[in-house]
Amino acid sequence: MIGHYIALIRRELWEHRSIFVTPLVIASIVTLGTLTTLMFAGEFHQQLDLVIFGAQNVAGDTERRAILTGFFVGSSWLFLLGLGVLTIFYALDALYAERKDKSILFWRSLPVTDAETVVSKLLTAILVIPAVAFAGIVVTHIVNLIVTSLWVSSKGGDAGVMIWGSVPLIDNWLATLVVLYAIAIWMSPFVGWFLFVSAFTKRAPLLMGFLPLVLIPMIEGIFLRSGHFAEAVWGRGAKIPVFADIDLERFFDEDRLQVRDEMVSLLSHLDPVKFLTSPDTWLGIIVCGLLVTAAIYVRRYRDES
Amino acid sequence: MTSLVTASGVSKHFGAVRAVDNVSFDIEKGRILGLIGPNGAGKTTLLKALLGLTECDGDLSVLGLDPFRQRKKLMQQICFIADVAVLPRWIKVSQALDFVEAIHPNFTRSRAEELLKQTKVQPGAKVKELSKGMVTQLHLSIIMAIDAKLLVLDEPTLGLDILFRKEFYANLLNDYFDEERTILITTHQVEEIENLLTDIMFINDGKILLDSTMDELGETYIEVMTSGENAQKARGLGPVAEAEMFGKSVMLFEGVSREHLEGFGEIRIPSVADLFVAKIKEARR
Repeated sequence: MIGHYIALIRRELWEHRSIFVTPLVIASIVTLGTLTTLMFAGEFHQQLDLVIFGAQNVAGDTERRAILTGFFVGSSWLFLLGLGVLTIFYALDALYAERKDKSILFWRSLPVTDAETVVSKLLTAILVIPAVAFAGIVVTHIVNLIVTSLWVSSKGGDAGVMIWGSVPLIDNWLATLVVLYAIAIWMSPFVGWFLFVSAFTKRAPLLMGFLPLVLIPMIEGIFLRSGHFAEAVWGRGAKIPVFADIDLERFFDEDRLQVRDEMVSLLSHLDPVKFLTSPDTWLGIIVCGLLVTAAIYVRRYRDES
Repeated sequence: MTSLVTASGVSKHFGAVRAVDNVSFDIEKGRILGLIGPNGAGKTTLLKALLGLTECDGDLSVLGLDPFRQRKKLMQQICFIADVAVLPRWIKVSQALDFVEAIHPNFTRSRAEELLKQTKVQPGAKVKELSKGMVTQLHLSIIMAIDAKLLVLDEPTLGLDILFRKEFYANLLNDYFDEERTILITTHQVEEIENLLTDIMFINDGKILLDSTMDELGETYIEVMTSGENAQKARGLGPVAEAEMFGKSVMLFEGVSREHLEGFGEIRIPSVADLFVAKIKEARR
């Protein structure tokens, strides 16, 4: 059973090379950005010496952590963006391409159920793609830290103190992992929807996937003068209940005039329990389940002849 | 004899069109059955019903299973080649073997590799880099490495040149077929497979026109080439079809004994193609 799923998911990775190519491209862009910045910064000798001196001797651990975390978060968001686009295209293609090239007849001539096939595609979208993206993020962080360390050292700074001594790798990575999977689960009804579209549409899956998401809010707005559908669909991304409520008074240490140490931790801003106990999370999972069931049903009962 | 496939009152409708119309038949173990019919006769629909790829009305049992509801179990014992184009273009030869090996309990990888070594198909090549004939060779190598009880071939050699077609059927007979296995083939090129069939079924407009063993066929249908007075007499026996050839009349008789006909002229066993044409004409009358 598990063996079947592994084989099916491996099949997805063979077919959809973009699952690897996208993180690779983003990693290259981030690294290229770092290199460009460092080269550009290298032109300002005096200011640079001052900054390195300051970062090494004046700034505390908290500030250094905050700056490194800022860089981490920035590059991770780029991955998230790429991941979103990748997942949409993947899900829309997953059950469409096999019908278009007729390979569905080959896949269905093997002892695999339609449910196993469709579920393997869902798992690829919400488990595997985030995992590959996570690996991309980790590698990007490490590569960029190494590049920056070498550069700092060449400018006379102590990379051990400035970077490796302060970098909150585990905190950042754990937080990234939580956010990646929270987003995958939170947005899973969209994955279900795109898989369903991919299973039934005869042509133009991208158009068929987005047209209802645009037209239904318009129709609702015109006839019912309300915006529930638009709110539920287009507003969902921003409402993900994984971030802890930030108490601004506790955020800043008035006495020392700086951000509190514990506030620099990304994990401290996340609240997985709140996410998992939110009814909206579970509603999304149910909607995803229904749409995936519909996709299985279409693949099973549709007759291509 | 054990029945591998039992169909009783099987129908499939697409709206008002009856693609398969109340057909009943049995397929026994160890046979090679040719399913012959014009385009749109319902061949492919019938095969899809047998393979559990489409739902149908009536009672249909394949290897004792309900094909549509127990497709996964059925596919462990059935192999199926739909058309040369169904292998995904992006897959590598080695990946296709990896996948089938992981999924299919009755697949022997070494056997497939052995068969592929006899062809020009390279393990590292992608399907899109292979010629149409090579894709078929790949598919056939996979299929022949699966220990299946029933092999279903739907127009397996469509678009292939004559060399490949001959080789395809030779491989099938020599390396695959034995009395434990059963093969069901549909094709337009009847004349190429008629020598290897043990059974034949004609289908037209969703109905079965003929369901017979090849041995029975030779006894039931007799062709006489005759002319002049003999032709007149022979015509009196009610041939099912008549054609002119080289100034002579070629008449096809059904269920008339050989002794009866021998006096009228040259006796022949009709080709499947001629018989098919006669049967279709008869049905349209």
